[in-house]
Amino acid sequence: MSTVRRWVRHIVLVSGGVVAAPRLVAQQPGSSPDSVPPSLEARLDELDQQIRVLQRLRELAADSTAAAARDKVSATASAKDGFSIKSADGKHSLKLRGLIQTDARVFLSDGSAPVTNTFFIRRARPILDVTVGKYLEARLQPDFAQGTTTLFDAYADVKVTPGSAVRVGKFKPPVDLERLQSASDIVFAERALATNLAPNRDIGLQLSGNVSSGGVSWQVGVFNGVPDLGNGDGDVSDAKDFAGRVFVQPFKSGSLAGFGVGIAGTTGLERGTTGAPALGSYRTPGQQTWFRYASSTTTPANNVFADGRRSRLTPQAYFYRGPLGLHGEYIRSWQAVTRNGQATVKLKHTAWQTTGSVFLTGEKNSFRSAAPKRPFDPAAGTFGGLELAGRYSELSIDNATFPTYANPASTPNKAKAWAVGLNWYLARAIKVAVDYEHTTFTGGTATGDREAENFVVTRVQHSF
Amino acid sequence: MRTPKRGMPKTMRIRLALRGSLALLALTDGAGLAAAQAPKPATLLNVSYDPTRELYEDFNQQFAAYWKGKIAGQDVTIRQSHGGSGKQARSVIDGLEADVVTLALAYDIDQIAEKARLLPATWQSRLPNNSSPYTSTIVLLVRKGNPKQIRDWGDLAKPGVSVVTPNPKTSGGARWNYLAAWAWALRQPGGNDAMAKQFVTRLYKGVPVLDAGARGATTTFVERGIGDVLIAWENEALLAIKELGPGKFEVVTPSMSILAEPPVAVVDKVANKRGTRAVAQAYLEYLYTEAGQETAARHFYRPRLAAVAAKYAAQFPKVTLVTVDEVFGGWKQAHETHFADGALFDQIYQPGR
Repeated sequence: MSTVRRWVRHIVLVSGGVVAAPRLVAQQPGSSPDSVPPSLEARLDELDQQIRVLQRLRELAADSTAAAARDKVSATASAKDGFSIKSADGKHSLKLRGLIQTDARVFLSDGSAPVTNTFFIRRARPILDVTVGKYLEARLQPDFAQGTTTLFDAYADVKVTPGSAVRVGKFKPPVDLERLQSASDIVFAERALATNLAPNRDIGLQLSGNVSSGGVSWQVGVFNGVPDLGNGDGDVSDAKDFAGRVFVQPFKSGSLAGFGVGIAGTTGLERGTTGAPALGSYRTPGQQTWFRYASSTTTPANNVFADGRRSRLTPQAYFYRGPLGLHGEYIRSWQAVTRNGQATVKLKHTAWQTTGSVFLTGEKNSFRSAAPKRPFDPAAGTFGGLELAGRYSELSIDNATFPTYANPASTPNKAKAWAVGLNWYLARAIKVAVDYEHTTFTGGTATGDREAENFVVTRVQHSF
Repeated sequence: MRTPKRGMPKTMRIRLALRGSLALLALTDGAGLAAAQAPKPATLLNVSYDPTRELYEDFNQQFAAYWKGKIAGQDVTIRQSHGGSGKQARSVIDGLEADVVTLALAYDIDQIAEKARLLPATWQSRLPNNSSPYTSTIVLLVRKGNPKQIRDWGDLAKPGVSVVTPNPKTSGGARWNYLAAWAWALRQPGGNDAMAKQFVTRLYKGVPVLDAGARGATTTFVERGIGDVLIAWENEALLAIKELGPGKFEVVTPSMSILAEPPVAVVDKVANKRGTRAVAQAYLEYLYTEAGQETAARHFYRPRLAAVAAKYAAQFPKVTLVTVDEVFGGWKQAHETHFADGALFDQIYQPGR
């Protein structure tokens, strides 16, 4: 109190308040020469109180403003995180993101088995991410591309500890490195041949965690079990698949900081039927089916179906440094199959792929999508980021597959593919890609090899 | 095991004795197992009003020790939340998960029962003394020497007297202040509602700042040096003298005041959901024990237990007290007449005028 009073007194005195005081008194409403004017001390006290009240009111107003800010829900929009609504305390949020990929697909030299050149919506996915408090996160991701609705992700994560979580729902099993890379982040428009041997999406429960400050990540889970490349919404048998993955980034700094290596696998029993074989088919980069187990619509009793253990093992690694990126993996898939009148046989298919890319414009390469250093803005003389990429991949079918379980006259036993591509990142949210991929086959016709696929795709990707 | 104290209500003594016996049974029956399986720690949230911070800081430690050592062997942590009583009640209605509420007036807990249905409407009959383990009243705190010569309520409406009191729209304590002033005016010769309104209107014309809660009003008066008199909870006024300014302030006990009965209740739905029902119930019951009453008295709340009240009698001046029921027809009626939107307080106090 005394500080304020001294301050007021000082101002009054220094500014000539002593001289002005009689005038102030004279101006009192209703004052007369006979009335006793308030003393200077009383006037100072009054002013002192007024200042204190104003200060307190300002203090309370600031408190109210702060409280209102605490209670205020924030809505934001950004290229990185899409559109989001967040509670005032930041504990609850809802993010709406999206991925739209529009392709122009051209098949060159496809004389013996023409494939239609087409504009194509490859993916059209709204992505809804929800955070409820400290412990619960959830994602919903359907896909409306190609005139159908497919549920890709519908899961909830419960954070058990700061470094571990339980995930339930439909999601990517922890297996294939390139599959685990988001569809908006993959280097080429389509994933490599090796991805054919891994599951796409499955329903189950997964426990995951990080140790060594994130240097080691691990996941273990139990799933319905889906065929190679499968996206399952149910199961055809009681038995379940178990999946696990460990990935290590041993160097926290230095030139090898971007190096990671891991191994993943699945195992489980699968017993299909002739009507529901529970077996996968494999596609070319141009999304044409090149391998399928023997099946017939006229004599379905002869269809091949899964009959026993299905396992996969995939060592994998990546390395990123500056504008350079490299990732690769090897996958071996074992599948017990049978068909009418035949003994059960365990088939072993193998595949591998390696992908490399370099940012010509100097962006930092990573497992996730890059943001251009200088987004597209011709007026400012900037044109985005350019990434040049190359890839090689192979997939070999077990020789024991032929001729009992697949028709060698129509099904190749091996595919090899090489690809080059150019990605143009106009902005974080917009990428234009041009890829050429050449795939050759061994076998696949009655007289020799299936005609090679020469696939050119131009993609405009909008992800926000 | 603590022996249930004499002076406690009989039903509560029986309840505590039973709980103690069960705990003893659990310890002696399969002692090895019991030793290996310590009960999981419990956490309670006590949502309270502004001036009870110090009371519950003290009481919580005491109860935690009692609960761990004497009854259940369980660690219990009690978190506190304080603010204007009405505001706190709204927070609970809006989802703040209080295991127990210890608010300034029964009306606020009634609102939780009525609007959120988190506890039954009969909550007030579940603990003794209308679920009010301690009482208080409203007094006047003035600066040392009482420069404006304030002796009773009437002096607050005199020209030139600056009065500090919080906002009855958000503060339970402020409602008690307002009603105490109104009741005094009614009891003056020829007193009636019109005169009371006139008096309270003049009083609020001298209020320069309306804080949201009682603790904020104390800050305004004691720390910011605003005003000539603070209308305050008795416990808040005595605490201010003890802790903030011995020799700087004086308590003026008016000729008449109001019996403030701050109530407590378990919030059934929250406590059941969180599995804290037993400890929450014991927490409130412990307020009625001799130890709990001593703690309340040490923090200047008037104890209910006769023995403790006698011990601390010198601390609390004798004053004629009226109740909300007898003067205002209960809290519901008082709210509708005085504090609802557009009711008397809104007519009396218009900011900026």
